Amino acid sequence: MNFPLLSLLLWLPVGGVLLCLLFRKSPESCRLLALATNLLVLALGVVIVFTIDPGSSGWLLYEDYPWIDTFGIRYTLGMDGISLLLVLLTAFLQVIAVLISWQTERHPAFFFALILLLGTAINGVFLALDLVLFYLFWELMLIPMFALIGVWGLERRVYAAVKFFFFTLAGSLLMLLAMISLYLLHGEQTGVYTFALEALKQTDLSLTQELLFFAAFMAAFAVKVPLFPFHVWLPDAHEQAPVAGSVDLAGMVLKTGVYGMIRFAFPLFPRAAEQSLPLLAVLALIGLFYGAMVAYRQTDIKRLVAYSSVSHLGFVILGLAAWNQTAWEGSVLLMVNHGVTSGALFVILALIRQRTDSNDINSLGGLWQSQPNLSAFFLLFSFASLGLPGLANFAGEILILIGTFSSQPVWASIAVIGVLLAAIYMLRLVQGVIWGPCCEPFDKQDLLGREWLILVPLAVLVIFLGCYPQPLLDSLSGPVTLLLQGGRP
Amino acid sequence: MSLLELQALLPQLILVLGGTLVLVAGAWVRNCRLWLLTGMGLALIAALVAGTVEPPVTEIAGMFSTSFYARFCTVAWALLIAATLLLSSRYADLYRYGGGEYASLLLFAAAGMGLLSAATSFLGLFLALEAFTLVLYILIAFNRTDNRGAEAGLKYLVFGAVATAFIAFAIALIYSATGTLHIAEALSGLQHHAGLRPLGLAGWALLLVAIGFKISLVPFHFWTPDVYQGAPAPISGVMATAAKGAVLTALLPLLAGLGPSVATINQILWVLSIVTMLVGTFSALVQTNLKRMLAYSSVTHMGYLLIALLVGGAAGGQALLFYLVVYSFATFGAFGVVTSWALEDDEVQDYDDLQGLGYLHPRRSSALALFLLSLAGIPPLAGFFGKFGIFYAALQHGYLELAIIGVSASLISLYYYLRPVIVLFMQERNARQLRSGAGSEYLLLSACCAAILFLGVYPGPLLELIARLLP
Repeated sequence: MNFPLLSLLLWLPVGGVLLCLLFRKSPESCRLLALATNLLVLALGVVIVFTIDPGSSGWLLYEDYPWIDTFGIRYTLGMDGISLLLVLLTAFLQVIAVLISWQTERHPAFFFALILLLGTAINGVFLALDLVLFYLFWELMLIPMFALIGVWGLERRVYAAVKFFFFTLAGSLLMLLAMISLYLLHGEQTGVYTFALEALKQTDLSLTQELLFFAAFMAAFAVKVPLFPFHVWLPDAHEQAPVAGSVDLAGMVLKTGVYGMIRFAFPLFPRAAEQSLPLLAVLALIGLFYGAMVAYRQTDIKRLVAYSSVSHLGFVILGLAAWNQTAWEGSVLLMVNHGVTSGALFVILALIRQRTDSNDINSLGGLWQSQPNLSAFFLLFSFASLGLPGLANFAGEILILIGTFSSQPVWASIAVIGVLLAAIYMLRLVQGVIWGPCCEPFDKQDLLGREWLILVPLAVLVIFLGCYPQPLLDSLSGPVTLLLQGGRP
Repeated sequence: MSLLELQALLPQLILVLGGTLVLVAGAWVRNCRLWLLTGMGLALIAALVAGTVEPPVTEIAGMFSTSFYARFCTVAWALLIAATLLLSSRYADLYRYGGGEYASLLLFAAAGMGLLSAATSFLGLFLALEAFTLVLYILIAFNRTDNRGAEAGLKYLVFGAVATAFIAFAIALIYSATGTLHIAEALSGLQHHAGLRPLGLAGWALLLVAIGFKISLVPFHFWTPDVYQGAPAPISGVMATAAKGAVLTALLPLLAGLGPSVATINQILWVLSIVTMLVGTFSALVQTNLKRMLAYSSVTHMGYLLIALLVGGAAGGQALLFYLVVYSFATFGAFGVVTSWALEDDEVQDYDDLQGLGYLHPRRSSALALFLLSLAGIPPLAGFFGKFGIFYAALQHGYLELAIIGVSASLISLYYYLRPVIVLFMQERNARQLRSGAGSEYLLLSACCAAILFLGVYPGPLLELIARLLP
């Protein structure tokens, strides 16, 4: 492929950022620009799906140019089935994020510019194959997210933004040190100084070195996932963030952590990964239960959904820890599914807040009486989130359970209970918001046209992913096999 | 001194003679802006000459080198002074800087800094260092009505005089041990005669103390925040960047020529580096004044630069120079924003006065945020590759502990770099409307922003240039 399709996909939003800043006097044009750019990215993604065969082995698309020769850093992008799905997810959620923030009144130009920039950073993480390039995109996520929370958030926004920044940066700086050390070791062994992922996989490391480096990489990734006990930044960030921030955070940013594990941490340090699987599984299970139980106790509906993310991501990590084909496929699938469902849930919560001006479950209730359409969608997404068969999350969860059961029946048996807990806290959420006595008479209109436009694609996707995940699995299975073998795609 | 040597000295001659001319003529024509522009022109010409005219000799009067490295430094400092003059145009109007004194002093400073980076003799080193330090004593207290400026000037004078005494004594010791003032000869003399080592090391220790004062290493840093706060913002910018850079670039070849006894010096540098990073970082945390925070931040950055100095060799030298360039762009830009925000009676520098300013003056506030984030080392800004280079060099030479402390310090430093950003953009508006920026200020700030973004995305060319500078 000669045409740099991946670079175009990656850098298109940056063009949108520049245009947004240029037309900052006119909110209307900024909105349209952001929407158009993200639609274009989505369209590009769809074009890629239809022009290449997602089942084919090897990189579907690959770009490699020299960049900083002094340090052996190259501009290497590659897309396989997993990246493709995650990039599509990102593109889709970005469109949703723009649409749901349509009426942003504070400094709309900067807002949409940051959203676009975040898109580039996240897609960059999913595509980069050079460690430094990856790290650059990884850190590039921080600034837009920090600003989105800190400027457009709620009352305690600065606290949440700073907390987010510190937690994530602390992890990544450790990763940076490990990267440089790995690079130096590899250079000493082979004489070739390079940050290319494929080359660094071949480095001879003692087990101690591997464990140290693995821990440093995992520090960065575990914070982003967030794996228990590194999750404490997440509820605050979600609670305070504006809707688009929450959608991006839950839908995409958390996935970068899991992606980093499967693309970088595990393949680079396979022996260390193998040794740490039990620990990972234990943390995942704790996260699964802890997230669910804390979610049940929340009165703030955004925090509730945030903790549900901790729980779901615990499930994803459990699948990875099971270390077999089925479980990994389930994990990646659940990542995509959770991206859609949690994004959808945050959209719904934002719509509820717009109507009731409250996030408190105690002051909500009886939404169905005045807002039947909104409530129906809410119900649908909640059911998807709790893993009802036929809706999005179910396929991923069942694959994880099957896969885990085949290698670690005990873990799987414990995890099943976690699924039950999901039902408990989600039903409490639904019960508290939709049913019960109507707390205040709503005179607000039910769904507006624009809101239908947001919710219908989400609902269609939730049902589609639940009923027919096969296309996704087709595109996943090849790369997952290769990653599990530690081989190169 | 032969004619050829004079020709090699041409850039400095342009600066000094031009500066004198501006000073004298400025007594009759009291048009500050004219002289600022003239000074800028002279500095640019000097930079151009230094950059393009191949010097006919390799050493001037046995005191100053004309190597590619020395010329690069001359160009850098001349350009920085030109930028300062450009930046100062409205500031000088605001504070009624009168005739050509300000411009001519800065030109003298440029000449001194250029010579310092080029010094090959201890005598040249001393003269050049004093030349620009003397100029700075005056410039710091240039705002005549500002008490804090006078205090800062005096403070710097006292500390500076002590440092001068130290450096003079150091040179005397080294001279008495080796019988020569030429740096390379003295250093090799110290290497070859074991009996001279104690004297030489004593000289080195004194030299390090003096240099510690000049580049504000902990525990010689106490003057820094007060002086930076009191000095006019453009001058603080020069002090934080060029003045320190000139000393460091002079120190780099000095340490390289030290041979085996560098191990002893390195132990001291190791301690100084750690203490400087930690004290600088933690002191910066509690600051509520932008200029004071930048002062402590510059202390911290000197700690990082010491790591590079400690690593030594080509790797350390390259990391040091790259970091210095990147740091200078960001720090100078940050002081540039403060300059641009100056009011007639005072500079706006307290965080309380900055609340919500980001929405009144979005362009300059965003630029400041960019500079601060670059100083914090957040990619994709240039500061990231600066720190990357330093940690890389440290790990390569087995200084794992320094790398870890450096990384921790930069994590903590994020807090004080983010604070102004939070104050500017995330708090309720409390700030007064300030003046809209002058064209020259915007020009300079956008140049700094562009440099930071460009070097953050594509540092290759600068890295290659620096690799050519160091043999």
